[in-house]
Amino acid sequence: MLARRTLLGTAGASLATVSLINQASAAADKPKAMPGEYIPRGVDGRLRRLATLDLESQQDFTLGFRQMHSRAVRTASGEMFARALAARGIDPATPITRDQLREIVEAEPAINLASKTWLANQQITWKTLQDHFHKYADVYLTEMEMADKTGPGKLELNPALKIPDSAKHEIHIQPGGYVGDPFAGHIYHYGTNSFYAATVGYNEQDQIQQGMAERLPLPKDGKVKRILDMGCGTGQLTLMLKERFPDAEVWGVDAGGPMVRYAHMRANSLGNGTNFAQRMAEDTKFPDNYFDIVTSYLLHHEVPGEDTRKIVDEARRVTRPGGVYYPIDFVSGGTKMIPNQMYGRWWDHRWNNEVWSFEYHAVDFNGEIAKRGFNLEKNAKAVLPGFGIRHAVKA
Amino acid sequence: MPASDTKRQTYAVDAIPSDVKNSVFLGNPVVDNVVSCVLALAMEVWSTKRRLKVVEAVMAQHGVTNDMIEKFAPTEQQKVEWAKDRDSFIELTLGSLGNQGTTSIAADFPKRG
Repeated sequence: MLARRTLLGTAGASLATVSLINQASAAADKPKAMPGEYIPRGVDGRLRRLATLDLESQQDFTLGFRQMHSRAVRTASGEMFARALAARGIDPATPITRDQLREIVEAEPAINLASKTWLANQQITWKTLQDHFHKYADVYLTEMEMADKTGPGKLELNPALKIPDSAKHEIHIQPGGYVGDPFAGHIYHYGTNSFYAATVGYNEQDQIQQGMAERLPLPKDGKVKRILDMGCGTGQLTLMLKERFPDAEVWGVDAGGPMVRYAHMRANSLGNGTNFAQRMAEDTKFPDNYFDIVTSYLLHHEVPGEDTRKIVDEARRVTRPGGVYYPIDFVSGGTKMIPNQMYGRWWDHRWNNEVWSFEYHAVDFNGEIAKRGFNLEKNAKAVLPGFGIRHAVKA
Repeated sequence: MPASDTKRQTYAVDAIPSDVKNSVFLGNPVVDNVVSCVLALAMEVWSTKRRLKVVEAVMAQHGVTNDMIEKFAPTEQQKVEWAKDRDSFIELTLGSLGNQGTTSIAADFPKRG
């Protein structure tokens, strides 16, 4: 368990947030407060508690349902899928095409009960969060406006940024996606907490990102003055990198203005001096050879394959000679898949709206990195167990 | 919903919506809708139960213990009123299970008189 004092950072933790909480707490003391009303409820370690008991309970339900779904419903669906293959004489060890897969699934509505219930749960996860943040939009917007102008880290927002359509999809069916809702950061953070808790058992204290930050390899000369996190989203990894290297200049960039805005506000509340900027990963605007470490977490499977190549180009430009480039993302394994793999990947692509996932898996990621003036480390280790290993050093 | 209902700068842009709301997984959109309703109802039931747990915990801090709640004996009048409420609740939520529909959606009115 992480120490609360450590998690909350220095004494400067969230002056702006605390001030708002105090104001709202005073208002909440009035006897007119009703169940379901906004009452700031303090923090749990480094996570600010959701502002109503009901919303917290709704998220608790979606978490519990995900766990039950993985344990029971998905297992049953897998067995039904195996029977469907057997009935058609399809070898479960031989790759099939997307079209073959779709034909099987369409004919087997029993399998689709698992899909339907998972999606319905995903929809109410997002909807309850979005409804809450919009209901109290004035409170949350005011809070972000106050945080925009304070530190310790910098925030650069760019409403004129030209965001390509490829970045505007509602990935994971999150309403508004990463760029289209003023509270995209809030919604993503709490929604993925439910996801992480159900899949790995925890992440409310950013333990996943903390582990990655701690395992990220250093340049051989040990010099780490500047770090870049591309496509940083809510900045959970970025903040942990700053906590590992408190004297370094740490930047997170993301196309989503609401994302970096939330990340910056959260950094303030933790007394963390990470800088955030609304910029594209393929055009970060930093000088050549500026960073000692360049990383990203779950960026590449959310962008077109061509953009992955451009982002690796940019990573090469901004990484200094001897610096480390280590993008963290899923293992990518080509496009030939056995039926079970194809079912999982196709379903995630089509219905969890992972629009670019097939392109991601078609890219030879390490090959693209090696083509661009990086040397891939032999015997490299996964920064996140089970994920792709892409430890590159700029020549 | 790019910017809530506000003229304030939100740094949000129009997203490309997913088509998941139009999906039909169970052969009939009505069945899909019912499943969505069941999930939402279950979530609300759990939220209510969890709130009740909080209420009981807070009451316990103020001297009303779980033991007192468990051993509470309703009066005869309360028993009658609560049984009536229970029956209404069951009829409302589950009474339709007893329906025996035989008339198809395209059927005409039966002949009268």
